[in-house]
Amino acid sequence: MNKLDSIISKALSRRTFLAGAGAVAATTAIAGCSNNNVAATTSGYSDADILNYALNLEYLEAEFYLRAATGSGLQASDTTAGSASPYQTVGSVTVGYAAQVPVTASSPSNQQQILNEIAYEEQEHVRFLRAALGSAAIPRPAIDLSFFGPLAVAAGIYTSAQPAFNPFLSFDAFLIGAFIFEDVGVTAYSGAAPLISAAGVASGYLTAAAGILAVEAYHAGYIRTSITGRGITNSSNTYITIANQVAALRASLTVGNSAAPSTTGSVETNLLLPTTTSTPSAIVAASSSNAVGFARTVNQVHHIVYGSPTVGVAKGGFFPSGTNSIFATTTA
Amino acid sequence: MANQETQLVDDILIQSRRKLLTLGATSLAGMVLGAALPEKAHAATTYTDNDILNFALNLEYLEANFYYQAAFGTTIDVANAASTAAGAPLITLNQTVGTKGTVTGGSKVSFTTVQVGSYAVETAVEEGKHVAVLQSALGSLAVAQPAINIAAGTPGAFGTLANAALIPGGASFSPYASDAAFLVGAYVFEDVGVTAYHGAASLLTSSANLSVAAGILGVEAYHAGLIRTSISYMDPTNAGIGSYTNLISSLRATLAKQGLLGVAPSTYDANPDDYGLATVSTSLAGSGSVTSTRLTDADGTNVIAFARNTTQVLNIVTGGGAVNVAGTAAVSPAIGVFFPAGLNGLFK
Repeated sequence: MNKLDSIISKALSRRTFLAGAGAVAATTAIAGCSNNNVAATTSGYSDADILNYALNLEYLEAEFYLRAATGSGLQASDTTAGSASPYQTVGSVTVGYAAQVPVTASSPSNQQQILNEIAYEEQEHVRFLRAALGSAAIPRPAIDLSFFGPLAVAAGIYTSAQPAFNPFLSFDAFLIGAFIFEDVGVTAYSGAAPLISAAGVASGYLTAAAGILAVEAYHAGYIRTSITGRGITNSSNTYITIANQVAALRASLTVGNSAAPSTTGSVETNLLLPTTTSTPSAIVAASSSNAVGFARTVNQVHHIVYGSPTVGVAKGGFFPSGTNSIFATTTA
Repeated sequence: MANQETQLVDDILIQSRRKLLTLGATSLAGMVLGAALPEKAHAATTYTDNDILNFALNLEYLEANFYYQAAFGTTIDVANAASTAAGAPLITLNQTVGTKGTVTGGSKVSFTTVQVGSYAVETAVEEGKHVAVLQSALGSLAVAQPAINIAAGTPGAFGTLANAALIPGGASFSPYASDAAFLVGAYVFEDVGVTAYHGAASLLTSSANLSVAAGILGVEAYHAGLIRTSISYMDPTNAGIGSYTNLISSLRATLAKQGLLGVAPSTYDANPDDYGLATVSTSLAGSGSVTSTRLTDADGTNVIAFARNTTQVLNIVTGGGAVNVAGTAAVSPAIGVFFPAGLNGLFK
């Protein structure tokens, strides 16, 4: 398998991931706040830590999509702490907007129904992970959805003098808000799957993670197809350009610790506006060399959701008090 | 992992299994037992990661040729102006493992919408790259491209399957006839690719291989999301091609369950492991029951995509060729529909 390993190391940076994870373990030991209720592997994290890492992201997604669809978020019983979790405080959610995306009643694309569907699916992911984790489930961390505004300024979409970017303003704005999350969700699960232990594989954690990965990619496919399709229909690259500015920001937030699947070091695929039936679109986010999907390390994902490229940062952005995770402090 | 905490997690999972029993045997298998239920009918007691990757390579040969024909009007081993302009890889077919076959059928679609045409071109390029990366990874162990049938009508693979799915006029169905027909043809493949890679993930032993499988799994799901979204935009009320997706999903679920359990499909029709586009009722926190458009092929409770083992996938792509007429015993090699001479490699 030497040849394969060589290809893979170029394509998917397992080594980078392991290096990052090892560093995480060291930091955790120093901080002395690891989840001592869950058996640690030799690498310093348990399968429950991996699932809880994912649960942080699902809380964020669910709070966003539920508000987009209904104007309100998760019900309280879906946010509580498991009795054995070292994190016991349920965080609050700051919205900062009049949440709920207005949709036109005559919309041919069933916009409200699609908002409802994605909200439901992320809500169920929260519930599934909480059920799988049982008493080890973390509570919802503090979440700040108003970070969409500063994030859009950082991406160069708006200036700070303009009204803050509001992902609930319109369906097009919602698609951009969703774009910020979906490719990240796919890559987070892709990066986390190989970290699950052999025992975890036998327990079904890996196939559950892979199954959620697939659903996140279905969502990402939906979001990217919709942005692209609406651009083609309107002969406008306005929202495609904005999405690509988001992608560029995500890339810049992970500078210096990128799990580079391609020679350019990017784990982003910019959307395109095809103009003929024979020019390719760019719906799929994957390596341009081998069309294998990207993975991100726990550090890279945290850099993005914190909105900070700085190593050692433990909170910020969408998570003003940090994630409830042993990976909360970036180490690379 | 062996402590009280883990025990609790395991208990929850066991409870989830019980819950899932009401949803269907295959969703159970897919979610929890993907690793534990490998090959019932085609028991391959010993297999390597390479065997798994070669199984995937067979499927990628099929997908890539379909998309190359639809987008460019050529097979993966013959470049033309369209494939070259799109940057589609030219695939070398000099592998000697197994029996090399030819590709029957397929033709370029005269796309009328930029959306569908450009999606076809993108997907063709990506599936071509999947063939290339698997061939490269396997090196001299890569299987040869088997005989592949992607012909329209009957006895072509697409007409045969469409007819079996009870699509109106299915016997003469051609995925190359129009933008809409192409989307239906693509629909046949993409969710199957997702379930196949999902099923394979737990069987792989090398984390490097797992990373690649997870990466390709994601891409297949992007494709599936793309196809489903496109169909939904074209037929938002599921009156036309949207309804075909349910017919195809039902057929796939039926074939998959024959492959897994070796029983008459009618026993399990109420519990599919496959869902087409539909308007469904879901319960949202704070809003109660709402109407939503199901775009994801996943179980309705946990919203986790399905997984299939190699026998189930074989039975789908061979149109039931992996079990005998009574549906009770294994047939190997499985032959039929898209693979008229069967697959190459261990799983066939």
